[in-house]
Amino acid sequence: MHIASGFLSPPVWGTLAAVSGAALAGSAIAATRQLGDRKVPLMGVMGAFVFAAQMVNFPILAGTSGHLGGGFLLGILLGPSLGIIVITSVLVVQALVFQDGGVEALGANIFVMGVVPSLLGGVVRSLWRRPGWMAYAATFAGGAAVVLAGATLVVLFLAWSGSLPAKVNLAEALGVMDSIHLFIGLVEGAVTVAVVRFVVGARREAVFEAELAAPAGEVPA
Amino acid sequence: MNAYNRKTLVVGVLIALAIAGVVSYFASGEPDGLEKTQEELGSAEPVHKGVEAPPSVFEEYRLAWLGEGFWGNAVAGVAGSLLVLGLVLAAGHLLKRRGRRAATRDAA
Repeated sequence: MHIASGFLSPPVWGTLAAVSGAALAGSAIAATRQLGDRKVPLMGVMGAFVFAAQMVNFPILAGTSGHLGGGFLLGILLGPSLGIIVITSVLVVQALVFQDGGVEALGANIFVMGVVPSLLGGVVRSLWRRPGWMAYAATFAGGAAVVLAGATLVVLFLAWSGSLPAKVNLAEALGVMDSIHLFIGLVEGAVTVAVVRFVVGARREAVFEAELAAPAGEVPA
Repeated sequence: MNAYNRKTLVVGVLIALAIAGVVSYFASGEPDGLEKTQEELGSAEPVHKGVEAPPSVFEEYRLAWLGEGFWGNAVAGVAGSLLVLGLVLAAGHLLKRRGRRAATRDAA
């Protein structure tokens, strides 16, 4: 879902760069209070994993493919602040080294695939302290929802940038984009459940390090 | 580094590299959902002046001089994964150190 170079107008990409920049700065400040000894290695491997997983395009419908976004996954496993830092690293490497996603569109892509899904992942995160059907259901539905939300945002950004043809109305564009991304979203939801289940099972102490270390009853941000 | 963190890193990186280096070779080459939508709407051509990315040997997730085969993809995938790993570890250590310093200052 990376927006390529040349599709966003300067006011649109400028605004989104400012918003994502502010989110990243806030995340960095919050992160200084969240990084215990076990967290940094987990962040590193989750970044490497999301980069890898994004390379694996799976076929959906005829002549279309999709890949994992991963921002939601990171928000659940690391919390929104650390999640935003990690997904930003992935998107920066993709834009600057792999020419995937426009350089000026970085802020927009960080917003769509990072800020929004990581914040929503943070909402589901606490459910995973006691994994069960509630956690699975919320994660599956949330994974699908963030992909649909992202697809909708991208179409709006393109429309505000004048990058949709005049003969195409917004409802039609949203219909095409969202119907494709419904399928991608279902895969995102399912993969997120599987990966979170695996990582929480294998590395619970690292995932909930700050929370487990806190005195009883106190839940740090 | 303690055994717990070493295991996190080794197992995690091995999984990531297997996906980036091997599994990704079998990925679908069809356009993604956004590209497909832009094609269908007839808006696949850029209309604004963008910012050009710096020249890179890894365009299209392939090491340029190894071409389209397995190894071009594998080297690009492994390099990209390790690059992200390094960037995140560096950022994480930096932020962790800042937090420690602030905590010491508050305690003093």
